[in-house]
Amino acid sequence: MADFYQTGIITTLHKLGKPSIERLEAELRDFSRNRPIALVLPSLYSEFEGPAMPGIVKELAKVNYLKEVILVLDKASEKEFQRVREFMSPISADVRIIHNDGKRITEIYETLARNGLETGHRGKGRSAWLAYGYVLARGLSDVIALHDCDIVNYNREMLARLCYPVASPTLDYVFCKGFYSRVTNKMHGRVTRLLVTPFVRSIQQLIGPHGFLLFLDSFRYPLSGEFSMTTDMARVNRIPWDWGLEVGSLAEVYRNYSPRRICQVDIAETYEHKHQELSPDDAEKGLMRMTIDICKSIFRTLASEGVVFSDGFFKSLSVAYLRCAEDTIMKYEADAAINGLAFDRHEEAKAVEAFTRAIMQASKAFMENPMGTPLIPNWNRVMSAIPGILDMLKKAVDMDNKSE
Amino acid sequence: MTDFLDLILEPLQEVFHAIRQFLPNLLAMLVILIIGILVARVLRAILVRFLTAIKFDSWSDRMGVTTLMRKSDLWAKPSLALGAILYWIMIIIALAMGMSALKIQAVDNLVSQFFMYLPRAFSAIMILLVGYMLTGFVSRAVLIAAVNSGYHYAKLLAEAIRLLLTVLVLAMVLEQLQVAPGIVLAAFSIIFGGIVLALAISFGVGGIDAAKRMIERETGEKRTEEPKDDVEHI
Repeated sequence: MADFYQTGIITTLHKLGKPSIERLEAELRDFSRNRPIALVLPSLYSEFEGPAMPGIVKELAKVNYLKEVILVLDKASEKEFQRVREFMSPISADVRIIHNDGKRITEIYETLARNGLETGHRGKGRSAWLAYGYVLARGLSDVIALHDCDIVNYNREMLARLCYPVASPTLDYVFCKGFYSRVTNKMHGRVTRLLVTPFVRSIQQLIGPHGFLLFLDSFRYPLSGEFSMTTDMARVNRIPWDWGLEVGSLAEVYRNYSPRRICQVDIAETYEHKHQELSPDDAEKGLMRMTIDICKSIFRTLASEGVVFSDGFFKSLSVAYLRCAEDTIMKYEADAAINGLAFDRHEEAKAVEAFTRAIMQASKAFMENPMGTPLIPNWNRVMSAIPGILDMLKKAVDMDNKSE
Repeated sequence: MTDFLDLILEPLQEVFHAIRQFLPNLLAMLVILIIGILVARVLRAILVRFLTAIKFDSWSDRMGVTTLMRKSDLWAKPSLALGAILYWIMIIIALAMGMSALKIQAVDNLVSQFFMYLPRAFSAIMILLVGYMLTGFVSRAVLIAAVNSGYHYAKLLAEAIRLLLTVLVLAMVLEQLQVAPGIVLAAFSIIFGGIVLALAISFGVGGIDAAKRMIERETGEKRTEEPKDDVEHI
């Protein structure tokens, strides 16, 4: 990013000039003596068969300031789990793999369920939550960084920039979200560009300035999956297990901490990972499902902040959103033109129409069940319900990583 | 020739006679075993259902029983584990009863010894369970009290207490099970006495100066508190 403009109510850390990765890592090594850093990687076994994970492991092998790497492996058999252990061996930090389908972790989920602690369906949210629990159980780290495992153009500078603001003892940030552009020969990131930003601004247009909406609008890439935070935050924040994970997590951050202690950091020029299909006719799949979950999450958060919704509000919202999103398409068309990027205006308009339908479906679902909160309880509550749960989790992971 | 044949046939007849006498006993043992297995299965099913109905697993999770099991790398549900324990106890009892049906003196002795030992085993299990809970409670109480008093080594202190109590409970369990009671008692006395002696020496030697200061302060205060005698004596 070329500018140094500060966006909204949180701090934006830009990439100015050409910061040296060696200097960053040297400082992080110093910081990590007082604030050890854990890296959490929620992954599927299929990602180890693709192009992304080999590159990530190769880069992580060069990183020397991490205290521990916790990889949560989903949809993997026992044999595949052992293969992943072998695969991760080049990393010098203490690597622990949580085998989500293993008998011990399955029993942990059953223990939680029989005590009335709903952890929802499998997915990134649940995996990340479990990994936080393990980090808390070990008690070795003060900072947790998390990124996806499908980043094709991963390099260790991304991780260093992500960790720096929270690991630094002089900056006093408790949460840092990564941002980047998603550009190849065309612009990607439709849900952020054409849904979240116009949607948040349309609601602001209808209800006026609101703290949470200002907070959300301050993020340049609110749906990015890369962030770092203190372990204290991992203890108190609840996590959504559905597609509203990123927005729901930001809502929890907003609820528990002052925006002065939140920042976003430019971690990459561009970011490439797998692209989701729009599937405009199926509300249960692809970006449509994601859109509905995101909208429901925003509605729920606003309702919990005291905003009153009605049928009239939702009707106005869908029209206001459509207008705002159409204006946004024009802005991006100009942006694409000046940068020589391909831009399919018709496809973008079709996406906006699909998003409008999704907003209406989300409104209906919210009105029918405003309390349908798919949030996994925070670890403080879990520890209160089952005092020995962290010991059990630690034992389960340690035994899984010990056995042949 | 006849004598020779008798010499061969007599032992065979004796064996045949012994087998004929033994077969009903063997059959009785098999029947007892089969009935025992069936009863064990039924009792296990009833127990597991009952424990599930009273939410025993959830109670175990909260009370730390599940944690204890997991620490031993046992990953079954507590109710199923109890069901399995009952099942195997029933199987052992059925086996013992079946074997006594064989009417072999040596086996009878073994069986009676086994039944004599059962109350001790039961007491040992109870001591272990109550001791574990008490250890957890005391250690937790020490931790909370130490943290509230601002001690830096609160966790270390709580863990030390837990270790001491665990040693005590294990010694009691082994003594109850009559596993080399003399050695257990001696080992326990040496370990426990050694720890107490080590603590006494470390506190004693390390606290000489502090104790001296305290005594001096105490006597100094007393001296200042003594009423002054207005009359000067020559």
